[in-house]
Amino acid sequence: MRRRVAIVGYAQSHHQHNMQKTREDMVFEVCKGALRHAGISREDLDTVITASTDFLDGRTISSVFVGMAAGAFLKDESKVEEDGTFALYYALMRVLAGTHDIALVEAHTQGSTMNAHQVSCFTLDPQFDRQIGVLNDIAAAALQARMYMNSHGVTDEHLAMVAVKNLSNAAANPWAHRKMAKVSVEEVLGSKVLCDPVRELMMSPVSDGACAVIIASEEKAREITSKPVWIEGVGSCQEAYIRDRDLGRLESLKTAARTAYKMAGIKEPAADLDVVELSEKFAHEELMAYESLGLCREGEGKRLIEKGTTGKEGKIPVNPSGGALGADPVCATGLVRVIEAAKQIRGEAEGCQVPKVRRALAHGQFGMCAQKNMVFVLGGNGS
Amino acid sequence: MKRRNVAVIGCGQTKHSSRRRDVNVAEMVSEAVYNALEDAQVSAREVDAFVVGNMPGFGGVAQPEQWIAESLGAAGKPVLRIATGGTTGGSVGQGGYYVVASGLHDMVVAVAWEKHSDSKEAGATTGLLHVGLGNFFHAAGYGLSLKNLVATSVVGAAAGVAVYQAMFYMHRSGCGIEHFDMVAAKARRNAAKNKYAHLQWPGCTAEDIAKTDIVTYPFRYGHICPASDGASAIVVAEESLARKKAKQPAWFKGLASYTDEENQLQSENFGGVGVTDPSEQRGCWLSAVKAYRMAGIVDPKTEIDVAEIYQPFPSQELFFAERLGLFDEGTAWMALETGETEIEGRMPLDPSGGVNATNAIGSSAMQRILECALQIMGKAEEHQVPKKVRNALAHGWGGVTNYSTVTVLGDTPGR
Repeated sequence: MRRRVAIVGYAQSHHQHNMQKTREDMVFEVCKGALRHAGISREDLDTVITASTDFLDGRTISSVFVGMAAGAFLKDESKVEEDGTFALYYALMRVLAGTHDIALVEAHTQGSTMNAHQVSCFTLDPQFDRQIGVLNDIAAAALQARMYMNSHGVTDEHLAMVAVKNLSNAAANPWAHRKMAKVSVEEVLGSKVLCDPVRELMMSPVSDGACAVIIASEEKAREITSKPVWIEGVGSCQEAYIRDRDLGRLESLKTAARTAYKMAGIKEPAADLDVVELSEKFAHEELMAYESLGLCREGEGKRLIEKGTTGKEGKIPVNPSGGALGADPVCATGLVRVIEAAKQIRGEAEGCQVPKVRRALAHGQFGMCAQKNMVFVLGGNGS
Repeated sequence: MKRRNVAVIGCGQTKHSSRRRDVNVAEMVSEAVYNALEDAQVSAREVDAFVVGNMPGFGGVAQPEQWIAESLGAAGKPVLRIATGGTTGGSVGQGGYYVVASGLHDMVVAVAWEKHSDSKEAGATTGLLHVGLGNFFHAAGYGLSLKNLVATSVVGAAAGVAVYQAMFYMHRSGCGIEHFDMVAAKARRNAAKNKYAHLQWPGCTAEDIAKTDIVTYPFRYGHICPASDGASAIVVAEESLARKKAKQPAWFKGLASYTDEENQLQSENFGGVGVTDPSEQRGCWLSAVKAYRMAGIVDPKTEIDVAEIYQPFPSQELFFAERLGLFDEGTAWMALETGETEIEGRMPLDPSGGVNATNAIGSSAMQRILECALQIMGKAEEHQVPKKVRNALAHGWGGVTNYSTVTVLGDTPGR
């Protein structure tokens, strides 16, 4: 990278089913919170990048009303229309370009406003798939899960184990939405079947939530904090439309991870990463991600969950915060992963803290069946 | 730190018209992308990443780049989607700059589009009703006043705010409706020389426009932009590639996108009432100041050779030209009378016909950057300004009157 860039502040909301707060209030609180966490003021910001979508927000030019709440008044700003990790990517590029030094990134969705699963239908090919009306993101995910399960002998129990791990991890996370400390495999398997094999507890809950992250160039970061979290690597990739790709694998995640690893100098992800935060919208995506991220060989994802390797006490903890199954405020979900990873590095993860984290991976995704993926590798001062 | 030199090396557009029924979104957008690649003489394989954008509510498709990725040649690559309302194209073009300037990638395609006609088909798409209703239920859920419904329903109606802007400007500057006739006539005449433009009227005069009825005071039917289908794309590359691929690259010299408070329409918190004069446009002014500083431009009146201003309504060409520092406060309309802003004039404004003649919303602000690049590369054909273009200014405007994008392109990368 052309210059070192660090995360210097962050804040997130208490993600929940229906926040009973306007989006402006919710966004203002996290942006103000991130500024307070970094110990800087709005005047210090050079640029603001927000993330939301018109469809999910249910209004045209969704950024127009939250811009002021995000501190963008008379600032050089812009908006990406997808997951918050893409907004971070854009903000990072602005800092790398040398045109800006300190950037605030904000992402939000109130799932209670517009049904995210209904909105997913509007991402379908309008001439064919939308007209037929059999697909939405849940149905597509079920097809994907089945393809993956069939090729690698993965069972419903494996998916349930992922849900158990993440939902019980979420119980220790004060910001999470779906917290289930004592959930069992049987309970997950017994939850409502939405679209076989996807059960209710294997799918992320629709949450209201927002988060904000402040990044700064090395020089500014060192002035702002003694605990900067460096962005060591970043990679992004989008694959073809659901009908034009092999749903049974997450090729774009693989490409994104490879790019980020190369930049961060990571050769053996399973050994070099201390914690991983994933945006798994469905339980099976976490197993697929293990493989795409190179934490194990292809088809071996189920072994990691069987052996507890990715549990909070395991060798490579994945989603100690509960991941997206713990809370999914759609556009904010990936950026929350970045915050959770940064918290682990700074030792601020409270009940979710994993010992000795020097390097962490945060993942964001957008689109049906994780069509586009973003990977950030973060490191602390010692890494 | 030293900035990376970045340039536009290829431009591609589609023909713009009311209804492109011969193509779907995927085909229309790829037409622009492949035209740009052909112009830059590069293959899709050489492109590292894509930046895309449009107004999703107008086409009725959410995240359309997911569906059309393969048609664009974007599958398997990083794709960044940027959408900021009227400024979408400007934001996408500027996004293209930042992707390359960051050093993460060396060559990107930035493409923006709109296919308005798709959303006129009842039942086929959601359009503005869908997004309007969303805010209605949201507000009702909190027990907020349904005044918001009224506010939301006029968000898409640009004429509603443009008349206030025009009136403020008329009072402030002394310009009259006849000057709007002149701007609109110039836009139609210039568009006739631009083969991609929508409303083309060779030899159109202010008198022709003056014959049309008043729609909403002070605008006549002939003043108002069309709703177009169309797409535009640019290929952006770092210095060594740019010098290898293009005879005359159009270099990004300065850019910014400052936002002001949204006005007129109240948000859920009943904010957005601080701006009383929607033609004040502080965001535009701040963007111009930063872009000129980056570009090393001290006196835009003499150093800018041509400008593409975002003017869906003719009044906007006038006060934005002043906000951008091309004319003194309240004088831009006088320049119309002396022909200074014609293609052959001292300060040509919108030689392509501008947004007033072609408005495919997402694409419109991108077209401004693209048209400036064409002028610098000398590829604007019939509407090429008859002088050496050293610096060209591309402007975008949108949001709830509060978004601005300002981009300065030049024939050399340095200041």
